[in-house]
Amino acid sequence: MVLVIGGSGSGKSSYAEEVAVSLSKPQKKKYYLATMQVYDDEGQRRIARHRALRQGKGFVTIEQPVNIQKSLKEMESGERTALLECISNLTANEMFTQEKTTSEAQVTEDIIKGITMLKEETTHLVVVSNNVFEDGMVYDKATMEYIHAMGVINQQLALLADQVVEVVVGIPVIVKGMKIINPSS
Amino acid sequence: MKLIIGGYAQGKLDYVLSKDQLQEHVVWDGALLDDILSNDGPFSTKGPDRQVVINHFHQWVRQRMQKGRRPEEEILLFLERCEDCMIISDEIGNGIVPMDPFEREYRERVGRILIQLAQKAQEVWRVTCGIGQKIKG
Repeated sequence: MVLVIGGSGSGKSSYAEEVAVSLSKPQKKKYYLATMQVYDDEGQRRIARHRALRQGKGFVTIEQPVNIQKSLKEMESGERTALLECISNLTANEMFTQEKTTSEAQVTEDIIKGITMLKEETTHLVVVSNNVFEDGMVYDKATMEYIHAMGVINQQLALLADQVVEVVVGIPVIVKGMKIINPSS
Repeated sequence: MKLIIGGYAQGKLDYVLSKDQLQEHVVWDGALLDDILSNDGPFSTKGPDRQVVINHFHQWVRQRMQKGRRPEEEILLFLERCEDCMIISDEIGNGIVPMDPFEREYRERVGRILIQLAQKAQEVWRVTCGIGQKIKG
């Protein structure tokens, strides 16, 4: 399992795609687990940009905004690689868009359980997460709980992962494990 | 071109000036710089032994966005005329996605421009606590 982290506009998505493609054998199944829920035009554009990035790389998209382990039901058995994008949306969806607000501890536990299952059931798993920790702002209680949950989840994912890579201005900086691929430039 | 990035107040400019022990340099502040392509702008100050440094690059991008300009294209045109320069920028994408649409777009565009610059750069340095790590070159 590879954990890829980075900020907005860091190039983490395209790097994570390259990693997933390079890990997967040709002809083997590649799944893109999409977590984003679309509410407006900006969301639509964001998704269109990501789709364009993925085009021609052979990913099958599975929309799974919550309960990430359920995506396994949509996959064919056998050798398969999954790219999950991203933990920040998944956490927000699990925390805020259910019928009721779910506690930070519960969300953390559910997400780690779900990703542990994905890791066990796939040949390669690439997980994209977001650095939301360095703007120095103090937000309302719910947002601070969200940031805290993201921090705990990232730490636990880093323990599960064989490799952790931070993407900075499009450049992969290795945090844990060996170098996987070079940036394409 | 060398690109230097890092968080706010990490000592990026001091690091650049001390590391390279530049004999002579001229530092342009992105917060005050308007048209980067103007004839009396940064490239008019370069010389065989004089390095042009663009500091607070992210603030220049912000200004140009506010004026409805295309900083993505302007900086590439600038680099054609001033290839041997240094660009210093804050990393601004590592936080909660802002509610304000302009702020969201600003973070996203600064990120994308920095990726482009990093691809063109001979060296990319990331400065934390006044210490630089070379992440490219």
